[in-house]
Amino acid sequence: MFDTIEEKKFLLKQLVKKNLTSKYKDSSLGILWSFFNPLLTMIVFTVIFSMLFGRNIENYPVYFLSGRLLYDFFSSGSKGAMNSIKRNSGILKKIYVPKYMFAISAVCYEFVNFLISFVILFGVMIVTGAPFHWTLILSIIPMGLLFILVFGLGLILAICNTYFSDIGYLYNIFTLVLMYASALFYPMEIVPARIQMIFTLNPVYTAIYSFRECVYGVLPDPFSILYLGVFAFMVLIIGIILFDIYEKKLSLEL
Amino acid sequence: MSLLKQKDESLIKNNKMIDENGREIAISVENLVMEFKVSKDRIDTLKEYVIRTIKRNKTASKTVRILDDLTFKVYKGERVGVLGFNGAGKSTLLKIISGIYEPTDGDVKINGKIAPLLALSAGFDKNYTGRNNIYLNGAFLSMTEDYINEHFDEIVEFSELGEFINYPVKNYSSGMNSKLGFSIATLIKPDILIIDEILSVGDIKFRKKSSEKIQSMMQEGVTVLLVSHSIAQIRKICDRCIWIENGKLVMEGPTEEVCDAYVENAESGKKKKKGKKK
Repeated sequence: MFDTIEEKKFLLKQLVKKNLTSKYKDSSLGILWSFFNPLLTMIVFTVIFSMLFGRNIENYPVYFLSGRLLYDFFSSGSKGAMNSIKRNSGILKKIYVPKYMFAISAVCYEFVNFLISFVILFGVMIVTGAPFHWTLILSIIPMGLLFILVFGLGLILAICNTYFSDIGYLYNIFTLVLMYASALFYPMEIVPARIQMIFTLNPVYTAIYSFRECVYGVLPDPFSILYLGVFAFMVLIIGIILFDIYEKKLSLEL
Repeated sequence: MSLLKQKDESLIKNNKMIDENGREIAISVENLVMEFKVSKDRIDTLKEYVIRTIKRNKTASKTVRILDDLTFKVYKGERVGVLGFNGAGKSTLLKIISGIYEPTDGDVKINGKIAPLLALSAGFDKNYTGRNNIYLNGAFLSMTEDYINEHFDEIVEFSELGEFINYPVKNYSSGMNSKLGFSIATLIKPDILIIDEILSVGDIKFRKKSSEKIQSMMQEGVTVLLVSHSIAQIRKICDRCIWIENGKLVMEGPTEEVCDAYVENAESGKKKKKGKKK
């Protein structure tokens, strides 16, 4: 069972498709919500905060969106992977499917959502007259590293969540704190210089920071990228090791 | 089965397993032990875990041994029946062989492609149409897209669903559900077939068809591991039997012998109980 890559790829495709169709099955606008959601929050935040920080930030809507999209992917991707094992316990108890496939599919599904919402970012860039720099291509690097981070973290959380069901609530609080610590809607300059150091240790902020540099036409800082890369791969390795140890015992805990 | 051990497993599959006498082994179970933890109040929140660790009143969870040092082999092309009363550990055994559970101790080796006909409609998405569910379930059974495309009409025809294939599965009757499940699951050309009492699916017509399908699969030389409470069925199909009780191997041998002993034991057990009542 599941010996070839092709079989796994097909399963992955089916699982992502299943997530996509089930999410919007009862809403009449369907997949359009993937566009509206970031767009509407952007408008709200722009109206509220551009008065406060507008002078310090060049093109506030783009600044906010470029951070928000990455943060959304991080938060929903890791949460999706966290719940993936429990949500599919009915299947896992009855048929043999490699369990990590559910975690991967949850992250991939959120990544697809993330890519769809890029249309909004580009749309807002066109509307606000922001120039398209060639460095935009480089944004693939922080995006890819963030994907690895999310997947690794998702594996760890998925294990914890099957053993302790309240990890989910704790993690919600954690992501909320992380949101405020990622400079989504305010400029980094308002943070005192000493505390800025701590902020740069936050890998999600590092990803957002590098991504913004690409969007604004600046070459991303290699040290930030390196830090993010090392962090992401460390988390991934820990995740894989942890998952490998506990995967066997998992079907008894479900 | 796990992320890191993928390579080892494929190695086993390439080297065919052959025993001392030169017969090829399909399933090899060695010293299999399976234990389940049962505790009256399971700790499943972090809060409780922390509080109880501090208070030091974590109840030691009891372990129940479902399978106890089970060893047997199934040779290629053999049809083996598994006998045992309720709770003997038969279904757990099949689940371990299918890879759903990881054994507490011991070794299970599988040689060849395995098709577990255990829970036929477990992977269905209720909101999906029958058509989409064929693809989804095919993926769960590790088929490729091309393979399903190729055999799609065959599945629809066999399932007798006709027009209903385009309706969501939530509107299906339970008979239709299992018919579709059976049609998908039997599409794989397996080397080993694991069956847990599913030879009776759907109405009389479909029952006949499904048992014919399984018969034809068997004639192609598929190895079969069958759990059934119908002794007649086991006598008809299997050439060897394994009888387990309380997770231990009681008897192993030719079907007739084991079946006779099993039936005798069941009847004498009844008599004993009656005797006690008197």
